[in-house]
Amino acid sequence: MLFLQTLVNGLALGGLYALAAVGFSLVFGVLGIVNLTHGIFLVAGSYGALLLWEHLGIDPILSIPPVAIVLFGVGYVYQRTIIHWAVSRASLVASLVVTFGVAMIIRNLLQLWFGPDIRTITPSYSFSSVTFFDLRIDLVRLIALGMSLVVLLLLTALLRHTHFGRSIRATAQQPLAASLCGLDVERLYAKTFGLGAALAGASGAIIGIVQPFSPATEAGWTLNAFIVVVLGGIGSPAGALLGGVLLGLINTLTAQYIAPSMTNAAMFLVLVAMLLFRPHGLLGNAMGESR
Amino acid sequence: MSVVLQGTGVTKIFGGLTAMAEVDFTLEEGGIYGLIGPNGAGKSTLFNLITGYYPLTSGDIAFGGRSLGTMATYRRNQIGIARAFQISKPFPALTVLENVTVGAMFGGHGRGSASDIARHAIRTAGLEDVAHRHAQELTVGTLRKLEIARAIATGPKLLLADEPCAGLNPSETVEMVACLRSVREQGTTIWLVEHDMRAVTQVCERIFVIDAGRKVAEGTPDEVVNDPHVISAYLGEPAESILA
Amino acid sequence: MTATPRKLFLAFIVVLLAIGAVLPGYVSPYHTRVVMGFFMFAGLASAWNILGGFSGYWSFGHAAFFGMGAFGAAKISTALGAAAGSPAAMILPVAGATLIVAVFAALIAYPILRLRGIFFAIAMLGVSQVVTELVNNVSWIGGGVGVFMPSPVPAGTRPEVFYYYIFGALLLLIILVTYAIRRSKIGYGLLAIREDEDTAKMLGVPTEHYKIASFVLSGVLVGILGAVYGYSLGYMSTGSVLRLDIGLNMIVFCIIGGIGTIWGPVLGTAIMLFITQVLLSGFLDIHLMITGGIVVLMILLMPSGVLGFFNAKRWIRFRERAR
Repeated sequence: MLFLQTLVNGLALGGLYALAAVGFSLVFGVLGIVNLTHGIFLVAGSYGALLLWEHLGIDPILSIPPVAIVLFGVGYVYQRTIIHWAVSRASLVASLVVTFGVAMIIRNLLQLWFGPDIRTITPSYSFSSVTFFDLRIDLVRLIALGMSLVVLLLLTALLRHTHFGRSIRATAQQPLAASLCGLDVERLYAKTFGLGAALAGASGAIIGIVQPFSPATEAGWTLNAFIVVVLGGIGSPAGALLGGVLLGLINTLTAQYIAPSMTNAAMFLVLVAMLLFRPHGLLGNAMGESR
Repeated sequence: MSVVLQGTGVTKIFGGLTAMAEVDFTLEEGGIYGLIGPNGAGKSTLFNLITGYYPLTSGDIAFGGRSLGTMATYRRNQIGIARAFQISKPFPALTVLENVTVGAMFGGHGRGSASDIARHAIRTAGLEDVAHRHAQELTVGTLRKLEIARAIATGPKLLLADEPCAGLNPSETVEMVACLRSVREQGTTIWLVEHDMRAVTQVCERIFVIDAGRKVAEGTPDEVVNDPHVISAYLGEPAESILA
Repeated sequence: MTATPRKLFLAFIVVLLAIGAVLPGYVSPYHTRVVMGFFMFAGLASAWNILGGFSGYWSFGHAAFFGMGAFGAAKISTALGAAAGSPAAMILPVAGATLIVAVFAALIAYPILRLRGIFFAIAMLGVSQVVTELVNNVSWIGGGVGVFMPSPVPAGTRPEVFYYYIFGALLLLIILVTYAIRRSKIGYGLLAIREDEDTAKMLGVPTEHYKIASFVLSGVLVGILGAVYGYSLGYMSTGSVLRLDIGLNMIVFCIIGGIGTIWGPVLGTAIMLFITQVLLSGFLDIHLMITGGIVVLMILLMPSGVLGFFNAKRWIRFRERAR
């Protein structure tokens, strides 16, 4: 029973990890950029939901659309300016350093604005839980898992069935060919980056009701996103879900059966092992060549 | 004159496709040889067989009287077969001198210190003026010379050059021809694949013509361009119009 | 190269050395500690540069070597039961810690150096996280509750002056090592690997050996600095030495000064520490923002660092004209 409970907790956590990583994965797959600003976008989403909840009483779940829209704009402008300049003047590796620098700046700004303390969002249903046979799960976790799956499904539909989605997939595979086919690749990059930021914000709003957050938690989320991508493969919602669930299971199983303090070590051990033995993810690569 | 490279009955079959059939060739020390043929004739295949990139199906290639058999590519490089690629791959953030020094230090079995060898190679290739420039600042023509300089810095007895003049403008072509001549004067035998007939006929002493994996002609530039087999198989039109 | 700039440069170094040798007698303990910190971070950045700058393998996890050096020395010194007040008591623990770091680095070098680019960087970050959690949670190591190290500072000597000279000497050593490597065959091989590993291999560079050698050397030098830093703290827990920011600062300082140059890491450390510790020491709450802002501006305006910028644009032209 304990094992089953651990599995259920792991799955619920995995849904969150998947959503938290999918935007990072998309940007990595399409632009080839490891966006170290991803975690801070996510935390900014949490703070956005916190503001809306504290001042206007808007439920965090309902705050997903406004938070996502704002972050889409931020991501779009960010790619068209700083990221674009860094890639065109220096290199893709330089973009890694630039996004790291920007993450430091935003983290500092959030600290100045909200203070360095750990915050939580507690809507009325925060302390309820659902019992299913003998398995217990917090209502917020269930809602968070549900919302994560909804967003991932919406994203899948977007990538599969819209012109924008098809353009994204085409560009991920062959940027040059896509531009020769008349796609405005630069604009598409900006939109993809905006979409990645919006997804980070949406997951931040959801994560806000489940886990405590502070500006300093951003680094952890960026690293988690990286591990999810390595586990599941780059650039697809399905890969993110697979990687997220695996990471969630590794996390809860380690906490339960080894030691709660060893979860990060276990996650990184799996990361290093994966990089060495299956560098293209468990399913191979869903989109484009790995960089 | 001793024989540097000798191929006897060189044959390569990929699956059911015969890419190279019973080709014989003999290269003597200190010569400049050409290899021409239409696209897909097997020029690259032949170079890949000599450097050991592909194994032979049958026949034999001997270097300096010694059969190469199944010797690995890097070993062939060490015993003196160097290849300059058409698409040059310099170390972009290093200077020309540093690029060539790497070749001299690691491929090198030449005499003297690596920096002496590198400076010598740079002089031979005519790169003195840009020795302290970074490779990423160079033009295509200069990069091609750098590729040659780095290859000869490894001290090869034989240099296989893949279309060293492709994409160069006429004055760069003239410089490249001069560069190849001075490499030869240092005692390195050169075999080059080239589409630029003007360059081939100017620089080469002897030319091999292959078509569809077979050698169709061999001889001096004059003999080759007037050979009826070559005209029909390769040129497809009178030689005068090619050379015009 | 013309002789005059070289002589001027050497004279400049000699003057700096002379000033460095007598400085602690003339400045406050606070400023002695600031300069000591500069020596240590410049040493760390230079050591990181041997791997990251020369071979192009950017490690985000060098803090692991730093922490292993510190805790290795602590464990050995505790086991030996060394007496306080004797600098000689440092020798064995520091040597032992160096050996531990060397063995560890050599063991992980081959597999982890098969990864390239960002994947190597993040895998090293993973290694440092695993090391951090092990140090923190394995009670035998004792990072969780913290460990004490006996002070080797002789009676009558101020601790910050003692460590000032040790870190200063280590920085000199690391710069000399860097210089020797840059001029040697292995240096050329590493640069070739950084520029294009496949072409380097084709030209006969023994890429695997060279990568492993620079990885181990870089890690060992960082480990030695970690061991001495542990002594300078006297008491340390996991968070005092296995800090993410130490690993990241090494990279940031190199980027600012000029990655892959001999003096870039030293210059970058000087610039950054001057800005954060001297100019803006009163604005602790915006340090992150300043560091981040400088990093972003550097990449956008001078992607090859201060030294790289002047090297590429002025120095080369100057030399060409001088010849």
